[in-house]
Amino acid sequence: MLHEVGHARRVTSTISRGVAVQLEGVRRVFDHNHVVIAGMDLRIETGEFLAVLGPSGCGKSTLLRMIARLAEPDAGQIRIEPKGERFQTAFVFQDAHLLPWRNVLANAALPLELMGEAKPERDERARAVLEQVGLLEALDRYPAELSGGMRMRVSLARALVTEPRLLLLDEPFAALDEITRFHLDVRLRELWQRRGMTVIFVTHSVSEAAFLANRAVVLGKSGGAIKLDRRLELPAVRDNELRGDPRLGKEMRLLLGAIEE
Amino acid sequence: MKKTLLPPLIPLVVVTLMAEFLVREGFVRAYLVPAPSAVLRAMMDSRMELVQALLSTSAGALTGFVMSALTGIAIAVLLSSSRGVQRAFYPYAIFFQTVPLIAVAPLLVIWFGFGIQTVIASAFVASVFPVIANTLSGILSTDPPLRDLFKLYGASPLVTLFKLRLPAALPQVFTGLRVSAGLAVIGAIVGEFIAGGGLGSVVEIARTQQRIDKVFAAVLLASLLGLGLFGLINLLSHLTLRRWHASEQAQ
Amino acid sequence: MLRRAFLKTVPALGLLTACSKPSRMKLALNWKPEPEFGGFYAAPYSKHGLTVEVLPGGTGTPTVQMVGAGSVDFGIVSADEVILARSKGNDVVALFAVFQDSPTGIMAHASRNLTSIGDVLKEGTLALESGLPFARLLKRKFGFDHVKIVPSPGGDITSFLHDEKFAQQCYLTSEPIAARRKGVAVKVFAVSDIGYNPYTTVLAISGESLRKNPDTAKAMVAAVREGWRSYLDDPKAVNEQMNRLNPTMDLETFAEVAEAQKPFIETDATRRNGLGTMSRERWETLIEQFKELGDISQTIPAEDCFRLL
Repeated sequence: MLHEVGHARRVTSTISRGVAVQLEGVRRVFDHNHVVIAGMDLRIETGEFLAVLGPSGCGKSTLLRMIARLAEPDAGQIRIEPKGERFQTAFVFQDAHLLPWRNVLANAALPLELMGEAKPERDERARAVLEQVGLLEALDRYPAELSGGMRMRVSLARALVTEPRLLLLDEPFAALDEITRFHLDVRLRELWQRRGMTVIFVTHSVSEAAFLANRAVVLGKSGGAIKLDRRLELPAVRDNELRGDPRLGKEMRLLLGAIEE
Repeated sequence: MKKTLLPPLIPLVVVTLMAEFLVREGFVRAYLVPAPSAVLRAMMDSRMELVQALLSTSAGALTGFVMSALTGIAIAVLLSSSRGVQRAFYPYAIFFQTVPLIAVAPLLVIWFGFGIQTVIASAFVASVFPVIANTLSGILSTDPPLRDLFKLYGASPLVTLFKLRLPAALPQVFTGLRVSAGLAVIGAIVGEFIAGGGLGSVVEIARTQQRIDKVFAAVLLASLLGLGLFGLINLLSHLTLRRWHASEQAQ
Repeated sequence: MLRRAFLKTVPALGLLTACSKPSRMKLALNWKPEPEFGGFYAAPYSKHGLTVEVLPGGTGTPTVQMVGAGSVDFGIVSADEVILARSKGNDVVALFAVFQDSPTGIMAHASRNLTSIGDVLKEGTLALESGLPFARLLKRKFGFDHVKIVPSPGGDITSFLHDEKFAQQCYLTSEPIAARRKGVAVKVFAVSDIGYNPYTTVLAISGESLRKNPDTAKAMVAAVREGWRSYLDDPKAVNEQMNRLNPTMDLETFAEVAEAQKPFIETDATRRNGLGTMSRERWETLIEQFKELGDISQTIPAEDCFRLL
């Protein structure tokens, strides 16, 4: 499928552009005796949308940072298959964390700038991805002038600008109001379906996990033990209509049950 | 404009009128506290001398301040490079803060001689530390997620410094500069007590002549200089941070 | 009759108790404890019914204002300060002049072979307290066009030692001795050579205090006079006391300076009229000089400036 955005020349396709992530015996300890993750084995398939749930302090964020190679496990290993290019991983944080002294376009283009791409090209690609998140009118604005939801969309655009094969999100919509959350959930899912990357989405929200993911993993209170690992039985196309669907409610109850146990 | 200028003017007018009354009626002795009218008269009578002194002190203070700003930021950048470097050299930076300037000024004269170079050196010593402390604090307190972001895309420490940590530190840099500006004026005047020239010299000479009205006139000009410098920094801060910092947005 | 006797004795008793209880007073010096103040440390205050606390000073101690404002009972000033103060409405009165002749002067490196005070102003650097009358007198007489004027380093001779063309204001009894000890030969010029000779290291009191308690002032002068006599005869013990308070000068220098200052303190006039004496002519001359310099607009009566007790 060719996306015609301005003078964009890039071709995006729906063939899977994801990676598989293999965790073997991954262990992470803080302060010599606080075991955050004790020997986790997990395989995330190419192109999967995985939701990671669990109570506070269960190690979900630590897990994500290790997969992103921002932290190293104390034991075990994390493999990404195929090895492929550098910078194929993108991260969306809990808060947008934009650079306040740059405008929206420059913020979205930042990863490409750090990777050494020339200005005309990176601005082009940034413009394209900003359109996909619906911010084409805000290119010149500064973060201080944006609402919380808009800032998060810029953060998303920034993550997607490098066309990553692996997208990691750490409770990105937690600080936003419900309506904005619903909108961004739908957008995120659309973007995933269009690009085919592997997504790992950490969240507190059972409804969000059920709505977004095709697979969910629930971690235990400590040590990162996997209490539930389930393929969600939900349709491929998800929109706000699904919110009232009893099937969603069923999945939510299952997930909640696993958390509360 | 009205909202910012009018309120501070009212107590000023009241106090000035009170002081004038107290001195005129003899409640306060004129050789201890000069009447405001006497201060104004001294300013008019010696205006050429005072203007020249003001220009001289301004030159010394401004030069010392600019040196503090550049050196201070550079030192803070160096200190931010590693914990070891910080631990080894930060105590010496503190030295600049704690050494009593009035004790060091005679040494400065011996090293640099009598003239504006000593005034500049004195202004520098007095004002460099706040720049170092605030800039360093700003650089070190960059958001961890942003540092992660730069790390994720393979940015070198140098790139991270110039594209992330220094811009992020700007608000704190300006805080440091604001404090430093006033200290530079004080440093210049202390330097002038020992090395001569400028408003410091006017104060010293007027003091020995028991011309307390002239002392007050010179001191007033010195405060206005400090205020002016402070205002300049504020303006710079506003223009630079205007679009992006909450502290400026609130105005 | 008994009643009359009683009425007479009560006030007499009151007076007795007032006299026997010494009141605590403060004397502010205008520099650190040095031989120029020796007599004030040697003075037998309690013998005259006084308790006096001597407060050392430093650079810029405003003794003439402190006396006028009443924050100290007595202060050490110079005669020119008294005249200037009185012209501004600060009622201070001189009681005792330690230095009959001003020890203020200028010292220069002997190697420059200068012959008169005017020569110092022909080149090089001169450190002066520019606000002082003698400095302005110098400027008027010789002009400062060829010499660089810098602030006086206040007793510190470091810049002097390192620069041959550097001359500085000094006390003839003090800095030259310190310089010689550091191996630099000096040539000194007294400011009195150009005719400017104010009494120096003068004990002053506020006019108000003098009017209220003339007896206390009298007792103070008597004690101070005795103190100076004792210090001139044998300065050793008091030097040790002052050296403890001011260790920046060593005991040998204390002894040298105490000796060098004697001709300034004991003169024909003091041998005739007693230590610390002052004359109306000297005061009148000084007042005239101030008028010439333009520092005071009207003459002030010389007899208001001092009191001999």
